[in-house]
Amino acid sequence: MVSGLETFVNAVQSLSAQGNFNDLCDVLSKANDVLTKNVQHLDNVLETLDTYQHSLGVLAVLYVKCNNLPAALPQGGGPAEGAHVESKTHEVFIFNQFHNFIEKCDSAQIRLAPETYSDLCHTVTKILIDQKRPHRGIDLIRRAIHKIQKHESQLTGAHADLMQLCLLAKNFKPALEFLDVDICSISEEGSQSEAKYFLLYFYYGAMIYTALKKFDRALYFLEVVITTPAMAVSHIMLEAYKKYILVCLILHGKVLNPPKYTSQVIERFIKPLSGAYHKLSLAYNSNSCEDVQQCLTFYAETFSRDGNSGLTKQVLASLRKKNIQRLTKTFLTLSLSDVASRVQLSSPRDAEKAILNMIEDGEIFASINQKDGMVYFHDDPEKFNTPAALKRLEEEMERCTELDRKILEMDEKFLVNPAFIKKQQCGTTEDDIALAPAMSDGRNPVGDL
Amino acid sequence: MTLPQMQPLAYQGGVEPMQVDAPPEDNDNSNEEEFYIVRNPSLDLETYANSYKSLARLHRLMFIATHCPSMRVEALKMAIQYVMNTYNVTLYQQLHKKLQESIGSNSTANLPDVAGGGAQPTSQDIPAFDIHWVESKSKKAALKLEKLDTDLKNYKSNSIKESIRRGHDDLGDHYLDCGDLSNALKCYSRARDYCTSGKHVVNMCLNVIKVSVYLKNWSHVLSFINKAEATPDFSEVHGKDSSNQTIMTRLKCAAGLAHLATKMYKAAAKHFLLANLDHCDFPELLSANNVAMYGGLCALATYDRNELQKNVIFSSSFKLFLELEPQLRDIIFKFYESKYAQCLKLLDEIKENLLLDMYLAPHVNTLYSQIRNRALIQYFSPYLSADMRKMAGALNTSVHALEDELMQLILDGQIQARIDSHNKILYAKDADQRSSTFERSIMMGQEYQRRTRMLILRSAMLKNHIHVKSTTGRETGQSGDATQSGKERN
Amino acid sequence: MIAGDLTAKCAELERQELTSPTGEASAQEYAQLLAIYLCQSDLCNAKFLWKRIPVALKNSHEELSQIWKVGQCMWKRDYPSAYTCLQVAWSDNVRPIMTTLQEELRSRAINLIGNAYSSITISDLSAIAGISDRDAERISNERGWIIDAETEMVHPVRPPPSSQVITSTEGQLNKLTDYVSFLEN
Repeated sequence: MVSGLETFVNAVQSLSAQGNFNDLCDVLSKANDVLTKNVQHLDNVLETLDTYQHSLGVLAVLYVKCNNLPAALPQGGGPAEGAHVESKTHEVFIFNQFHNFIEKCDSAQIRLAPETYSDLCHTVTKILIDQKRPHRGIDLIRRAIHKIQKHESQLTGAHADLMQLCLLAKNFKPALEFLDVDICSISEEGSQSEAKYFLLYFYYGAMIYTALKKFDRALYFLEVVITTPAMAVSHIMLEAYKKYILVCLILHGKVLNPPKYTSQVIERFIKPLSGAYHKLSLAYNSNSCEDVQQCLTFYAETFSRDGNSGLTKQVLASLRKKNIQRLTKTFLTLSLSDVASRVQLSSPRDAEKAILNMIEDGEIFASINQKDGMVYFHDDPEKFNTPAALKRLEEEMERCTELDRKILEMDEKFLVNPAFIKKQQCGTTEDDIALAPAMSDGRNPVGDL
Repeated sequence: MTLPQMQPLAYQGGVEPMQVDAPPEDNDNSNEEEFYIVRNPSLDLETYANSYKSLARLHRLMFIATHCPSMRVEALKMAIQYVMNTYNVTLYQQLHKKLQESIGSNSTANLPDVAGGGAQPTSQDIPAFDIHWVESKSKKAALKLEKLDTDLKNYKSNSIKESIRRGHDDLGDHYLDCGDLSNALKCYSRARDYCTSGKHVVNMCLNVIKVSVYLKNWSHVLSFINKAEATPDFSEVHGKDSSNQTIMTRLKCAAGLAHLATKMYKAAAKHFLLANLDHCDFPELLSANNVAMYGGLCALATYDRNELQKNVIFSSSFKLFLELEPQLRDIIFKFYESKYAQCLKLLDEIKENLLLDMYLAPHVNTLYSQIRNRALIQYFSPYLSADMRKMAGALNTSVHALEDELMQLILDGQIQARIDSHNKILYAKDADQRSSTFERSIMMGQEYQRRTRMLILRSAMLKNHIHVKSTTGRETGQSGDATQSGKERN
Repeated sequence: MIAGDLTAKCAELERQELTSPTGEASAQEYAQLLAIYLCQSDLCNAKFLWKRIPVALKNSHEELSQIWKVGQCMWKRDYPSAYTCLQVAWSDNVRPIMTTLQEELRSRAINLIGNAYSSITISDLSAIAGISDRDAERISNERGWIIDAETEMVHPVRPPPSSQVITSTEGQLNKLTDYVSFLEN
């Protein structure tokens, strides 16, 4: 038994020294059994290995260790002391061994085993969540992501973990650091649940953006979730679709059609499962706050079960605002009491308050005349004739140019990709069909591999 | 009917008062129509009915019976009288049933002293249900059908194309006479394979169109109109004789009707306006008065001032139609002269009658509000600012209601204006093209950025073969059962 | 305190919270961070910070809930109540930030009034700006807002949109060159 471990340690040390990491990966993939049988000796093994030089070996050991940890915070509560010992084990594992590993490991090595690395992160995340102290994991996982990322726009499996921790810890700033970067590539982990963590990252991300009322970005994230190719109904997608409807209403005042390449699953299975939400959007279309309120009352249970009560309330508030905006488009002047009656507010004073708030947020342009109890609506004062407006235009154009450059780059890469050329010569294959939707959306062919 | 008259009956426990208002059983016309009642029509039923033949007359009378209690008995009586000239036994029975019901419960049918409310007709001029007629007519119909069938078989065995075609047509005519529309349609359609000239094809199309109109299958109607118009011989001989003119007008009217029914009011106007009064004679479809009314209202609702002037007011052919409906003519001219208050008032006067027209009724409200909107838009078009009090006066409405109407039109972009609710003045508003162009281009740029980002992400997604495949169990409440496809490397 | 200082301080406090051995910050740090979020009008983050501060700390440090009371008023956009809630003898730890917050709120309120009202009663003006009627008159005069003594109405004037963007001609030319070369390729 011990000799098995010794062989393992020797192999790790010699192969690492030779820099023969491919063979090392092979060895490690077969070492799982030996390590699992010797769980009690693994701490000794860790002592003999150097975290930086033998990162892959250490990763393999930690991976086995974390999968053999006792369950975190056993439900019902066993003897107090036992629980204490167990959480002590976790404490040491996470905040000494794992922390140390993340701090010191060699990025080049761990990028050869991204799946194991991500799984390790998932497990640590799960333990911390089970222990109800997600805030302890934020910094750890954040470092873990930085360590394995090849560049900051690469999505890794651990991204979803960070989002979940941030959500549960109610601390969103660390998440934004990642969310605000647009993803250009995804780390190839080859695990069975890659799609799950992909969807979770964008779903949690959308939840964080909605919590911060950055609805534009939230909608983008939700759209990613619901346009992910799908052959089966995913619960994440279903929940994302419901939120998509709500955020669409808040942001645009109507439900936008998802893009053409959206999976049939949405239309066929997910839409019928979201009846209450479609009823809500119908009520919204009538522009009647009363109808929307009725709908909210009628489906209150559904909305609260889905955890969307707060969002639905914001839908109602957004309709109030939309109705006031409609007034600004039609009237030059209107008495505050008419505003109140037209948007179903109880008093002119409430109407004044609502208009004041919207002016403060730059959502309408108006001036209130308390003397006559009137409000004067103005046009958007932006006339695009100031240096500031020019600067804004320049920035927008720069961004477009930058993106276009990126697309051209991708295009060139595909053109010289041997696999792509081969396919071009062989004609259509199955993968081409899978690619078709992406190509129909832009002028650049998007290749495979 | 009014309540006091109803109550005695209700107390007698004979009939539920509301039963009168219940729509007739399975009248295929009334399925999608909402129920309403017309109280004071100014319609001469006799003249009205005489402008139609065949099922057109029967359907129209039944429609009136459904929606106008004061004319119900009268309309049903006429229908029964007329149906006895046909083989339509089923309809005869239905009509009688309805008549019994309405006499039984309808005290306004000029006989307030119906004490029993029973099935006994109390007036001599109420026709009694004639069971002998039903039996003998059914027998005759069966015999005729048998004869026509045998004839057709004989023609077929002799393979004389022309006779076979006629045989099918005759059979179709007979089915139509019996009220069996689906079989009539089948027979008329079958004639198609035996047409030897363009004239035959057009004839076949007309038959199919007729039945399809009765069936309210509008897409069918339109496709056979196209077919008829595309028939080569037909376009060649076009204009040569009056029968072709008649066919043209008939096709235009059928097309107008189909477009009206499918809410394409502008197209409907266009087709009706092409009809020719001298050749407008097809009582089994509609009357010349109908053409005038349908075409005139649709044009009023959808044409701008120029179109109205060119195609309606100055149209020598449509002018003749308008002479048939002097009220409508006045309405159109008042509208054109910008005398909107009078125009709208006249429109209100004819509304009751229009609601009794089976084809127009479902569209009356929509057409009216479109006409109103046109009036509003046209009224305001020459002004930079307009006093809303005067405007309300000119349009027969209150300032408050006008404000609501204007608000909707501004939101729809039909009027470029803003309301000064304080001084009740409507101001025209110039669109700031420059700013809106800037705004639009910034929006487009942002949309481009969004879509491109999504595209880059999507290419990464496809490259990694990320997609939701099948169910493998769930982790937490929110994380779902997403799994990933097996992925082949290289 | 100047905005730049606050941003730096804010980032520092956020980092401290995350990297502390317990993953939590001290009551003093939380108080400062919460106050800074309010200063930056970042009410969302303030709300979630309040939610994640451990209950024990909230109970033992009254100042935390006093700061959050101001936040709640801001969330409801109830300026008068916010000024009332600000009338607290703040500890040295947060006093400078809270003073900044008060000034920030007042100047925001006065700007808003200038933007949103063509006439407003003096009493409403002083309530929203959190000042006495006399000060309200003084501020109105400073800004050239006309006071109608008879109706006790102030007629604010909309401030001209400030445009303070400095770009060099050379930079402009560079950018133009970029656009043209982009469009031509």
